Parts: sequence; C-alpha cells; structure tokens
Amino acid sequence: MTLQRPTVEEGLIAEEALLDMVCHGEISLGWLAWSPRDRGLVMPRRHERLARFPEARAQLASMGWPVLFRNTGGTPVPQSPAVVNLALVIRCRVGSSAAHLEWGYHRLGDPWCDWLGVLGVADADLGPAPGAYCDGRYNVRIGGRKLVGTAQRWRRVRGCGDMALLVHGAMQVDDTPEALVAVVNAFQAAIDDPQRFRAASHVALRDVLPDLALEAAMPRLLEGLVAGHALPKAAHGCG
Amino acid sequence: MNTAITVPEDLWEGDGEGVITAWLVDDGSEVAQGDLVAEVMVEKAQYEIEAPASGVLTIAKQEDEVIAKGTSIASLEA
Repeated sequence: MTLQRPTVEEGLIAEEALLDMVCHGEISLGWLAWSPRDRGLVMPRRHERLARFPEARAQLASMGWPVLFRNTGGTPVPQSPAVVNLALVIRCRVGSSAAHLEWGYHRLGDPWCDWLGVLGVADADLGPAPGAYCDGRYNVRIGGRKLVGTAQRWRRVRGCGDMALLVHGAMQVDDTPEALVAVVNAFQAAIDDPQRFRAASHVALRDVLPDLALEAAMPRLLEGLVAGHALPKAAHGCG
Repeated sequence: MNTAITVPEDLWEGDGEGVITAWLVDDGSEVAQGDLVAEVMVEKAQYEIEAPASGVLTIAKQEDEVIAKGTSIASLEA
C-alpha cells in the first residue's frame, strides 16, 4: 500500500476509475492513497457557471494554480505535493431509513481519527471548522482546526439496487495553512465573492507531528480503513 | 401516467438543504427507467438521481436551486 505520486488530473481520473470498478461489479472495496506531484485548484464543475469564472480560471493559472474539476461535492480546494489524498470506494446496500451520507463520512473519518490517536494526537475528531475553505460537518479536525477535508460521490451499481460510494479525504501535511488559504482566497476575489477564509481554521499535519515519517505511518491508516469494512449500521450491507 | 422524481428522504440526517448541481438530460427529453437524470449535492456529497420510470421529462427545479429532502424536482409523463 504505497503512496502514489500522479499529477492532480491523473489522481482524479484514478479515483473515478475506482468508482467505475465498483459500479461494474469488479470490486466491492478499493482504496487509493496519492499525493500530487504538481498542483491545482480543484472544484466541482458547477463553479464553471459563475459569471467571472473564465477570468478567475485565467488568473489562477497565471499564478501556477490551474483549475481542475472533481466529481465529489464541496467548493474549491488546493491540491499540491503538500496534500495527501485518500479515496475509499465501497459497494453498499442502503436501507430505507438510513442517512447514508453520515455513514460514509464516519466510514472514512473514524479510522482517520483513530490513526491520529495512535500517533499521539489526543484531540482529533470529526466536525466543522468555521472559517475553513470547503468546510463541512465531517472534517477531520485537530483541536477544532481542519486537517482533512472530506467529500463523497454516490452512484448506482449497474443492474441492481446497490450503491457505490466514493469517499475522499484531502489532508494538508506540509506547507503552511496560510499558503493554501491564500490560493482559495485569490479565487474568491477573482469571482467577486466577498467570503474569505482563515488560515487559523486549518492545521497542517507537520505542525502537529513534525518528526512523523508519513510514508511509514500510512499503511496503518489504510489498514484501519480496510478493517472498518465491518459495518456500523444494520441498514448498510456491502457486497 | 405521471411519475414524480423526488430527492430521497433517507439521504441525510437533519433538516439541511441540498442543491441541484446538474441536469444530465434536457427538459422535454424522453428518458428510460434507470437513466441518470440529475445530480444533487448535500453535505459535500454528489448524489446521482435516476429516473424512477420511463417517460418525457419535465423539470420543476432548475440547476442551483435549493432543495429539501423529499422535494419533487421533476416529473415523467409516460
């Protein structure tokens, strides 16, 4: 289980290919750990409809942050060699009364928090980080600051009632939160959106664990995700 | 026969709202049962909506419109 080093575009394509494999019945569980060797500002395609998007895209490209699109939800997120991504794909059977988005986030986030605990981080949890870019209710946080942003995509498995889930986490490992927040705020300014994000709402793993040998520690995180294949709710079954 | 396309009630917990991020077919198109017709986003999750029946699509909620659980976003006339 090694950390792959594709381009941002290649990494996004590889994640989509994993989801396709679940949809086509080739696998019921898969994962991908990657950190891009280049950089880009990644967002859902609906941002393309913003009035000033063409100008914003050109401006970000001139800054060395080309805009790319992803198939999970949320808002713009910088991808660079400072970021480690983990994508988990699962085939699921969704019950009639289950809120399965929450299940998906816990499926990725709980083992992530456990892994941080093993590494000695006592205050890791899931929750919102007001002021963070691409904030949500299920970030992996350290001390209330966003370490990992999470997002999902759900698709029907062809030919049956099962669903395929792609749940993705992007963890800032290196670089400063200020550097990445500045990229997102540059996009905000370019599209004339007054909202600005705060570096104080983010944390980089290196700030908390400066001596961590990440590539040596990653397998334990991946093992935790796979071990979590036992399901927390009876309403969800995975084939 | 008219069939509504609705946002699943069990998709997420609480009373939060989602948004239609894309219609994958045009208003007035003929679709088959099981075809992907729309994407909604809630809680940073993209969720594909399928046609529950075959028929001609009439879109009721446009892209970027806010939706709640159980909202009827379109109908299919067989």
